[in-house]
Amino acid sequence: MSDKEGILVVAEPKDGKLANVTLESITRARALTGAVGGPVSVVVMGADTAPFVAQAGRYGAERVYTADSPELAVFRPGPFVDTVAAAIAAADPAVVLCSGSPDGRDVAAGIAARLGLGLLVDITAIEAQSGAVTVTHPCFGGSLIVEKQATTIPLIATVRSNSFAREEAAVEPQVVALSVEFSADSLLAKVLAVACENAGIVSLEEASIIVAGGRGVGSAENFALIQALADELGAAVVADELGAAVAASRAVVDAGWKSHPYQVGQTGKTVSPGLYIACGISGAIQHRAGMQTSDCIVAINKDPDAPIFSCADFGVVGDLLQVVPALTEQIRKRKAAS
Amino acid sequence: MNIAVCVKQVTDTEATAKLEPSSWRLDRSVTCILNPYDEYAVEEALRIKEAHGGEVTVVCMGPENATDAVRKALAMGADSAVLVSDPALAGSDAQATAYVLAEALKTFSWDLVLFGLRSTDGETGCVPGAVAEKLGVPLLSALSKVDIQGTTLTVHRETDEGYVAYECPAPAVLSVIKGINEPRYPSMKGIMSAKKKPLDIKDVGALGLDTTQVGLESAKTRVLSARSPEPRKAGVKVEDDGSGAEKIADFLTGAKLV
Ligand SMILES: Cc1cc2nc3c(=O)[nH]c(=O)nc-3n(C[C@H](O)[C@H](O)[C@H](O)COP(=O)(O)OP(=O)(O)OC[C@H]3O[C@@H](n4cnc5c(N)ncnc54)[C@H](O)[C@@H]3O)c2cc1C
Ligand SMILES: Nc1ncnc2c1ncn2[C@@H]1O[C@H](COP(=O)(O)O)[C@@H](O)[C@H]1O
Repeated sequence: MSDKEGILVVAEPKDGKLANVTLESITRARALTGAVGGPVSVVVMGADTAPFVAQAGRYGAERVYTADSPELAVFRPGPFVDTVAAAIAAADPAVVLCSGSPDGRDVAAGIAARLGLGLLVDITAIEAQSGAVTVTHPCFGGSLIVEKQATTIPLIATVRSNSFAREEAAVEPQVVALSVEFSADSLLAKVLAVACENAGIVSLEEASIIVAGGRGVGSAENFALIQALADELGAAVVADELGAAVAASRAVVDAGWKSHPYQVGQTGKTVSPGLYIACGISGAIQHRAGMQTSDCIVAINKDPDAPIFSCADFGVVGDLLQVVPALTEQIRKRKAAS
Repeated sequence: MNIAVCVKQVTDTEATAKLEPSSWRLDRSVTCILNPYDEYAVEEALRIKEAHGGEVTVVCMGPENATDAVRKALAMGADSAVLVSDPALAGSDAQATAYVLAEALKTFSWDLVLFGLRSTDGETGCVPGAVAEKLGVPLLSALSKVDIQGTTLTVHRETDEGYVAYECPAPAVLSVIKGINEPRYPSMKGIMSAKKKPLDIKDVGALGLDTTQVGLESAKTRVLSARSPEPRKAGVKVEDDGSGAEKIADFLTGAKLV
């Protein structure tokens, strides 16, 4: 048995706030303290972490480790790994949860290698019983569900967005400022510029609704129909400030109608929103690999035999150029009526 | 610039993944291919070589038949390859893989190590970061652009909003995304000459690896169980007779999704 206790959540900043996946991880961590002990702590880093501290407290973080430095303003593996290593040394936790985003994975990989820990990636569930922590990881595009444990402690894992609920439970957190010495090697990579041509877009991993278009959309211009439906649905989900995002199949990205960050599937993003609406997507196995863990799937396709229907909760065989704008209109009408 | 490219042989994406129940190891008896992401890494290495000179060395850890994936990278134009293959390595997890690759990379000199963003079977995307840490060089991952001036790299890392541009001196570890380039197909000549290119197969002893750090027994993560999820049932499917949109809206309202 080890005397390590509590859970450390590595915060991911997103547009000046904490990413949903961080809030979800804090919420889940609170439920595990009975089995792994407390406290729930969070490490926040950035040029100015004050807003993160407040938000972490609102979601129930009992202790917040802060690292404020201009070197942490924009993500870089070097100084971020140094900071998280310092937080782990200070918190001595039993469990460390990172975001499953590219940034979170870089940090988790570096930490696991530095501390000689086993790494559990892309988990969608975590349970603890008398000291033993078990995680669930859907792999091979969701075609296998694997339960895993780590043989090293702390257990370190990256968490898939939208896997846990997000609930506020305000506490006044104890704030501990970390003093982190960045090694010279960690600062070798320098940030030159941050380009935000898609500023304000809803991140696919975090979106609660995704409207995805495939080759059947027909052209880049027709994606305006997909966008309009997403905007209407996004505005309809009041409770959720993140709303709806637009995604694409690989055929669309290869045709140049949308850029690579929009691609869902094996060589794109893995998403599990509450609702995934596939428009003009055939549903090839490589596409399904990225979206079949969505809670609810709706498909619109003019081919009644399209494989996407085999995993759709609701399917309409029809022309998306008719159905999508009509659906946008329906949502608008119903919202106005309610 | 001498470049090392780490490539993995993976099970074909069309094949159904199966784990052997005795060990929870991936059944690799199905068709195998070069990890699709790694083709972008090989292509990027070849482009850098074409622009700046140098040698491209492929590094792979895998079973004996991983020579197929390695030969494909050689056929695309890489100069030589190292395959680390040993029964003792079977069942290694991402951290053990990173240890083996890092040790293999310490046996020759390079300015850059390129990786694919992730493997389509391991899917951790964590091997590059772990290798960078073990080698003590900077990691820049998920790159959509790599430019080189002398020994300085300027790279773009894709983000949801756009990209972040970084500058970094070599040596460095980089992982690249789909879309950074269009990988070439091996030419007939490439395929023929690949058969004659040096391919050094090394076992655990040849690399002087610590056997307590590799293989299934020493893995720091353990699979307890694996199951196929309940297959998603096809739900309701209706023909659009003009009311398709309304039916979807009814369904969404009924399911409290809007
Ligand atoms: C190694 C590898 C990795 C891959 N990775 C990915 C990945 O990450 N993501 C991904 O998406 N794919 C991926 N693919 C490609 C995948 O196999 C499919 O080719 C791709 O998903 C097809 O995209 P699509 O469904 O948009 O196009 P298509 O297969 O061409 O399907 C278009 C669909 O639209 C329907 N349609 C046409 N017009 C209309 C209309 N007016 N109204 C309604 N329906 C209409 C058609 O009936 C058809 O079903 C990968 C392939 C390989 C080999
Ligand atoms: N066994 C291996 N041999 C060589 N390279 C590997 C191996 N496993 C992973 N890699 C490299 O690491 C990248 C990320 O893999 P992964 O962490 O498994 O998703 C791959 O795209 C490869 O470039």
